[in-house]
Amino acid sequence: MIVTPLVLLSLIVWGTLVGLDLVSVAQTMIARPFVAGGVAGVLLGDPMAGLRAGVLLELFALDVLPVGAARYPDYGPATIAATVVLAGAPWELSLGLAGTIGLLVSVLGGWSLQQLRRMNAEAVQRHAAALAAGDSAAIRRLQYAGILRDAVRSALLTAVGLAGAWGAQRWLTLDRRTAVALTLVVIGAGLAAAIGGALRSAGRGPRRNWLAAGLVVGAAVAAFL
Amino acid sequence: MNGTGRALLRLFSVQGVWNYERMLGVGVGYAAEPLLEDLKAKDPVRHSEAVVRSAEFFNCNPNLAGLAVGATVRAEYDSAPGPQIARLRTALCSPLGALGDQLFWAGLLPALVGAALVVVVLGGGLWGIIGFLVAYNIVHVWTASWSLRTGLAAGMGVGAAIGSSWVPRSIPRVGLAAGFAVGLAAPIVANWYLDPFGRLSVVAVLLVAALGVVSGRLFGPRMTGGRFALVAVLLTLVCRLILR
Repeated sequence: MIVTPLVLLSLIVWGTLVGLDLVSVAQTMIARPFVAGGVAGVLLGDPMAGLRAGVLLELFALDVLPVGAARYPDYGPATIAATVVLAGAPWELSLGLAGTIGLLVSVLGGWSLQQLRRMNAEAVQRHAAALAAGDSAAIRRLQYAGILRDAVRSALLTAVGLAGAWGAQRWLTLDRRTAVALTLVVIGAGLAAAIGGALRSAGRGPRRNWLAAGLVVGAAVAAFL
Repeated sequence: MNGTGRALLRLFSVQGVWNYERMLGVGVGYAAEPLLEDLKAKDPVRHSEAVVRSAEFFNCNPNLAGLAVGATVRAEYDSAPGPQIARLRTALCSPLGALGDQLFWAGLLPALVGAALVVVVLGGGLWGIIGFLVAYNIVHVWTASWSLRTGLAAGMGVGAAIGSSWVPRSIPRVGLAAGFAVGLAAPIVANWYLDPFGRLSVVAVLLVAALGVVSGRLFGPRMTGGRFALVAVLLTLVCRLILR
């Protein structure tokens, strides 16, 4: 699919908003992969590709608990990259590659969040004297600079992801069997991630029974479809 | 806009400068700033001390940070001793972290995501996304507002206010809904993807999924879903290269 400069720009703006939403600003959950992917699909003129990529990476995101200082992947900009790989292509043959690109970008996003946190800590140390003096303006400056740093991080991550998606489309040509095998592998791994995460959260209490009940009802619904 | 309104808006960027030094501390100080403005005219020295305290180390789930912001600001206006306010902040970190994580990250979020995925793959498409965003953010914004109001009203008694509130009571129910919703979504999403493939492919996907769950149980947090997927993709590519 040919991406025009305007669409490219809108994808980077969307990726920046999505990256900011993950931690720094609002947390309205536009950073969830199926939301990020759905909107990216609309921007690319292929909403279904966005949903296919987004739902796949959402399965992986369900495995993540963003608690405390834990290091976790950034799936929002990653889903935008995956959607670009998938847009305009037969999904059965491209979902494996799209998912792989998305997972790699999400790992890079997790690393970039660590760097951002270190940079924020250095900024806080530089302003330690002003903070100890009760300078409200220093708090505001730190806050706005932190958000700006995250915006730059998110925009760069989206741009790198889009470049990776473009490179993969251009240079990675897989034969049909390999492409299908990769698609099946990422679907299976995604289901494992979602169920594994749910099992971990459920522990041994009644929640596990409700998870089992959900699986049974879901399997029954799927059988009737 | 009054101080409470501005503080509420600022709570939505409480993690804006999240770092390993003070974690949420500076963000909490940023959110508390509009509420502390009146103290400046009354007692400038106390105001300066309050600003210092407000930006010290703090960590909790961001959705419940309003309770800490409100309670500590109220305590400053009530002229509670500084060390007592510092102890209150320290004491609030763990419960607000644990309650918020269970309520939002392990409860409400997976419950709504699971339901939204079912709507999306059953043909609801983008409506599933819109419904999810609206439902989540109604709770998200209401909780932030409730947290700040409750903290401001309770002050040093915020612990008791949290204990008798809806938060601890709702966690088990939301957790059950989350378990059911994710369980419901998994087979329906699998069917959505596997519809065009043959039975052998379905068996292969189920095998990969089973292997992924087992490896997650065996290796623990080191083998996340994403890592398992990347290892599986790599092995698939190597196998395909050898078989060629």
